[in-house]
Amino acid sequence: MRKKVIIVLCSLCAVLGFFTLWSAEGAFRSDWQLPAAVPADEESYRLVLITQELETPFWEKVGAGAAAQAEQQGVILDVWGSYGNNREDFLKQIEIALHSKVDGVIVQGLDTEEFKVLTKEKAAFYGIPVITVANDVPVEESLRKTFVGSDHYAAGKMLAHQLVKEMGGSGQVVVLGDVEQQYSQQQRLQGVAESLAQHAEISTVYAESGKSDEEIVAATQNILNQHPTVEAFIALNANHVGPMMKEISRRAQLEPYYLYSFDDGSETASLLDQGKLDAMIQQSPEQMGEQSVELMMQWLRNEVVPLESNGYTTDIRIVKGAVAQP
Amino acid sequence: MNTIQKKIWMLAIVVLVMMIAIWLTLTFYNQKVQTQYNDILQRYLEMNEITSESQQMVTDLNNYLLMPSDDTQSSLQASRERLLDVQSTVYGLRNVENEFALTNYSHLISSFIETVDRSVSFQEEGDTEASLTEFTEANRISMYISEMTLTIIDTELKTYEGFYRGIIEQSAELKKLGVWLLLLITAALLLFTYLFSLSITKPIHQLTKAANELAKGRFDQTIYVDSNDEISFLAKTFNHMRRNINDMILEIQQKAQLERELQDSKLLLQQSQLHNLQSQINPHFLFNTLNTLSKKAYLDGAEETSDLLVSVASLLRYNLKRMDRAVTLAEEEFVLRQYMEIQKARFSDRLQFFTELDSGCLNLQIPGLTLQPLIENAVIHAIEPEEDGGHIWFRIKDQQDEVWIEIEDNGKGMSSDKRQQLLEGAIVPAEGHSTGIGFANVVKRLQLFYGKEDLVAVESEIGRGTKIILKLPKVRGTTNHDQAVDSR
Repeated sequence: MRKKVIIVLCSLCAVLGFFTLWSAEGAFRSDWQLPAAVPADEESYRLVLITQELETPFWEKVGAGAAAQAEQQGVILDVWGSYGNNREDFLKQIEIALHSKVDGVIVQGLDTEEFKVLTKEKAAFYGIPVITVANDVPVEESLRKTFVGSDHYAAGKMLAHQLVKEMGGSGQVVVLGDVEQQYSQQQRLQGVAESLAQHAEISTVYAESGKSDEEIVAATQNILNQHPTVEAFIALNANHVGPMMKEISRRAQLEPYYLYSFDDGSETASLLDQGKLDAMIQQSPEQMGEQSVELMMQWLRNEVVPLESNGYTTDIRIVKGAVAQP
Repeated sequence: MNTIQKKIWMLAIVVLVMMIAIWLTLTFYNQKVQTQYNDILQRYLEMNEITSESQQMVTDLNNYLLMPSDDTQSSLQASRERLLDVQSTVYGLRNVENEFALTNYSHLISSFIETVDRSVSFQEEGDTEASLTEFTEANRISMYISEMTLTIIDTELKTYEGFYRGIIEQSAELKKLGVWLLLLITAALLLFTYLFSLSITKPIHQLTKAANELAKGRFDQTIYVDSNDEISFLAKTFNHMRRNINDMILEIQQKAQLERELQDSKLLLQQSQLHNLQSQINPHFLFNTLNTLSKKAYLDGAEETSDLLVSVASLLRYNLKRMDRAVTLAEEEFVLRQYMEIQKARFSDRLQFFTELDSGCLNLQIPGLTLQPLIENAVIHAIEPEEDGGHIWFRIKDQQDEVWIEIEDNGKGMSSDKRQQLLEGAIVPAEGHSTGIGFANVVKRLQLFYGKEDLVAVESEIGRGTKIILKLPKVRGTTNHDQAVDSR
């Protein structure tokens, strides 16, 4: 009897002890670590990459390349920007970056007066170097240190060549651009136009559209109405491709049309994969990111002074669409 | 020695230590969590302060620009100092996660202050236009600061989300732990209390059992108590008492035994004396008459008769004298010879008596009248009933420490049952004994005399005869008999 009681109590104690320890282990285990503090006197270079189109595949790649390079260089880089071409927000971000006295600003060029004022006056006031990336703004207007990105003129030419190769030497081509053209778009247009001009049988129609989907749809309708014989479309702004295609396919088969664009839109890659897009210019966003950070650091460390003001071009190539899906 | 008091203290201390340990742990843990929590809260408060300070500064600047005076200037100066103060504090809050944001933030504040300073200096120079532009700029930066504050606080919240969730989870875990701990302590206390009460009650129980045994009169069992406190001391004392009582009882029993033995020997003596007295029909007269008869027979020429009468007379005298006295074996043997003379006269050729004596043993002391009754037995049982008579051997042998006296006949013997009865003294002596002293009487007296059992051996076989062997030690074991006899 006595032994039984003792054994029962002992085993009870053991079981409860086990559960208590188990519970205590859970209660006192601190798996949350507060972030380590940074010494007050330690300050590394701070770079900001600012874009108008956050979270598009193209800019994601630019950001990734820049971040990789920044990590390699041991500097802090943050990607700021606006979503969906919100210019006001974009400019505000630039202003905040300048007021925050970051060490360098890598920015998607915007060919507007406000942007130029910011880069010319504010940046110069704080002595902050600005490098444009992907889209350029001429140096004399923006006082940027340099440009890293594709040669858009060459890209336009390359695309036109591809078009001629596929469509043949005759036909009507619609070139769709923005109402207010960016510097880079002007160069693309110039490249396309010059290239197509060599073929007398090819007639080029230039059309303009606003930014919103409705405007693009309207512009497309307009083109199709006025030029029913059109055979090919070149969208200078890659973001126009989606709505444009929708409108075309609403009216007719997409297949007979030759559709060309660039890769810096949000939908182009997937459209290309689906075969709806016949070809596009593939740029090198990672390279842009990497090289821009590298150049910025070279500038900040006085390794290369001055930077090439004409800019550093990155690779471009033609990517053909997959075989069209019915 | 562990006292009961000590045990009680131990129990209390164990409980107390447990409670204190748990309390300390929980308090320490709570304190730690609270400190971290406060630290984080402090961050938010400081960041929030920046916003309000920068807005205050804008207001102050506005006031100053509208109405430049020492008053407004000093208040502007004061808010500038405060903002700088908070700025350096916030700068110290940088960590790996928010280094970039906080550095930017800090610089933004610097820019703000610089803009304000510029605005003030333009105002002092009288350039109101530029001053106003700077003021607008400052206002905008202040707005940015507010926005950034919100962003940073938001990031901070995300950074510390795990921490908060951890706190919540752990408080839930802590609750569970509390329940488990309570159960554990309850069980542990039950166990401790049980063991503790057992360590007190078990010895008492053992002691009670021992006391019961004593009460029932069993004094020979050792009292053992499995304990090391006062009860054990009590038990030891109790055991000591028991041993003493046991010793005393044994002593009393021994004394009683002795007393009883003494009583026995007295009774036997009295019995033999009684027999003696019965046979003493004026023994001196008889003795004298026998002597006279002997002389008369001698004078009449009947020498054989004369010798026989002498034998009878001496036997009679020996019987009268030697009953309560130790005699030598030689004397005993002499009387035996006298007796055999008489018996030979009676049975003539039918009785053949042989003796083998080791003369070195004749000085052995034995009680009187021990051999004669045995020989008489042999005569009665082996010679009398047989028409052809029989043989009786009488031997005295030296056997190292003992003297063996053998009386052997070739009569009809007896069964083993009867032999047993004989040894146990269950056979009443039959008529015809000259002395009236039976076998049992002899054996008993020998035992008393030597203080030793196992002195007599009887070998018998039906039709072959009986052999009685007395194994008498040369050295007497006790002197009880002597004393008992001498004290009369």
